[in-house]
Amino acid sequence: MQPLWLYLHFPNLQLDSYHTLGPSKARPNEQLEPAQDGVETPVVILDMQHGIVQLNQAARFTGIKPYMSLGTAAALHGGLQVVPFNPEIEKQQLSMIAHRLYMVVCDICFFSEQGLLLRVDNMLRLYGGLLQLWNIIQTQLAPLNVEFNFATGSSPLAAKLLALKKWDHITDDPKLMEQALKQVDLTFTELSQKDITKLNSVGVSTVEQLLAIPFSDLHKRFDTQVITYLGQLRGDFKHPVDFFHPAQRFEQYIELLYEIERSDLLLQPMHKVLSNLENFLLLRDELTQELSITLYQRDKENIEFVVGAQQGEYRAKDWLGLLALKLDNLILNAPIVALQLNVKNTFVRSPDKHDLFLGKQGAISRLQLISLLQAKLGDDALFSPMTVNDYRPERASQYCCALTVNEQNPIYRPPLRPSFLLPEPSLLTQHVSIVHGPERISTGWWDHHPVVRDYFIATSEQGQWFWVFKTPDNKWFLQGIFS
Amino acid sequence: MNSTIDQLKNKRLLWQASQVSGAHKTLSSGFDSLDAYLEGGLPEQGVVDISSPIGIGELRLLLPSFVLRQQNSQKLLVFIGAPARLNAPMLVKMGFELSRILIIEPKNAKEALWSTEQCLKSGCCEGVFLWHQGLEVHQAKRLQFAAETGEALSVVMRQQQPTSFSLPVALALELAPCPEGIQVTVTKRKGGSHGQPFTVNMAQAWPSLTRQPKSSNIVPLPRIHSLTG
Repeated sequence: MQPLWLYLHFPNLQLDSYHTLGPSKARPNEQLEPAQDGVETPVVILDMQHGIVQLNQAARFTGIKPYMSLGTAAALHGGLQVVPFNPEIEKQQLSMIAHRLYMVVCDICFFSEQGLLLRVDNMLRLYGGLLQLWNIIQTQLAPLNVEFNFATGSSPLAAKLLALKKWDHITDDPKLMEQALKQVDLTFTELSQKDITKLNSVGVSTVEQLLAIPFSDLHKRFDTQVITYLGQLRGDFKHPVDFFHPAQRFEQYIELLYEIERSDLLLQPMHKVLSNLENFLLLRDELTQELSITLYQRDKENIEFVVGAQQGEYRAKDWLGLLALKLDNLILNAPIVALQLNVKNTFVRSPDKHDLFLGKQGAISRLQLISLLQAKLGDDALFSPMTVNDYRPERASQYCCALTVNEQNPIYRPPLRPSFLLPEPSLLTQHVSIVHGPERISTGWWDHHPVVRDYFIATSEQGQWFWVFKTPDNKWFLQGIFS
Repeated sequence: MNSTIDQLKNKRLLWQASQVSGAHKTLSSGFDSLDAYLEGGLPEQGVVDISSPIGIGELRLLLPSFVLRQQNSQKLLVFIGAPARLNAPMLVKMGFELSRILIIEPKNAKEALWSTEQCLKSGCCEGVFLWHQGLEVHQAKRLQFAAETGEALSVVMRQQQPTSFSLPVALALELAPCPEGIQVTVTKRKGGSHGQPFTVNMAQAWPSLTRQPKSSNIVPLPRIHSLTG
């Protein structure tokens, strides 16, 4: 079977990234600026060398055109929003699109900075035809709400050329593709400006005219680059292509067009990122336990924090709840200009197992409860008690991370111990009468925390039961309370 | 019979004292005298308000019931805002499984109440101990509701004397020191009577922490743990 390629060209990647949610789900400029009376603000992306490179519909209405200079554009509309061109964002967007498409097409290549090349001939049998496949690709792209041009071609370069020309046709008929290719003007090709001028001066201005010239003739006047390009365009020469393999990790960076000063407002853009994460995880049937979030503050250090869900979650709704608790305690020193979400580890979801005979199950599980509490109270507020084999009472009882106790059978089973231990033994200041004792503990000389104490159980005049000890130099301390 | 009374009964606005003890499920407290007085023991779920000075045996009175509860289920026991560090060896000695005990140290009373409510309604906690000095009526109501949702028992411990108004809780006890154990006054019990203070004898459970009438020709041997090489 003839190889068949599909090229997708995304002319407005950076601009589209600012409202991926699209007008159907949210107000288009929610993140940019509260749109007044539903009117879109004109936004343009400015490249230092080429002038305006991307513009939205509202900007087009005001008469602004691509490659216009900033001065002219600003003269056309006073309230114009200008965003500097950032190739990083485009790269991330393209990668995100590739990840989505990878779910339906196996061979994808980052062919240029704004385009993806898909090999489709080997997918046709799976989907039962080119149109069916194209429908599926369109459904994958639809939620992203990105603008794109597309074309099929019998060689990678032909597909790309047609897509750049905005042919926007899907076909597997070689004749149609050839016809379309022949009409393309040479300025769309990847030939150098010098070569194009040369060709134009001899009356060659379309691909058809160029291909009519035999290679041997061309070879005399032009270098091998032109020949290679033409050969690959026609499919005569092999064109090696590196296919993409999706990353196993989720990572997204979004730049906020407007600085956010209140942490609760951050939830809006966060929701967008978390929905992407949800899609990412859902398609793989995976969960994650930890999100690392970086907030970029203007002129200040980045804020980095981690939100955990011990049971593992994928739903944006659940993560947003935990995140809201975390953001409650967060103090912003400066406005936030961008945010990034990283997910390191994911694991395959195993179905929830419930014991049928255990009766009614709680609304949330133990691990979910821990995550909820940790998100609000911080990591240093939850503990579980733990025993350690040591004679010193303050060492025998320790607090460790919540619910991670490894219960071992204690070698040493102490006699009666109080329910509460004071954080530090304090000097005994009140009158007590001794009821039991002494119990001498003399240990620890080997680790520089020697302890020589005679412990007594005593009661106060108010009827409280205390655990007190006497040191060799006859000082009395209160260490525990028998509650 | 009087039809008005029957109507009220049908609407469950009026009930007879004999029906009540069955209506509220209780679990043994581990002390026979307390169980007998409370007609069964501590309530299975809800809020118990304890007003007691610290260190007179208040935890020793309440914890045995939670040991029994922990043995019968896989749920957690939570301590929130304890006045000092809980001593793990004592918990082990009482029979608790430490891996199912959670200790929360909130920064303020507001966070303490929030975590208590979350734990109670989560449905994965058996009991929640909260040390809180000034519980208000609406807070107690919320906790009571959360406890019923999550089928848990919450014990609210405070040191000060009960205020004049009574909190909407299932059971309120006032504890006082006593040589043989602990003196209990039931100040409020849902669907039950209360009255005179009585003594729970702890001589059997905690012989070292009670003062028996002396038959004192027994001198305890000093215990020495010395590892001085």
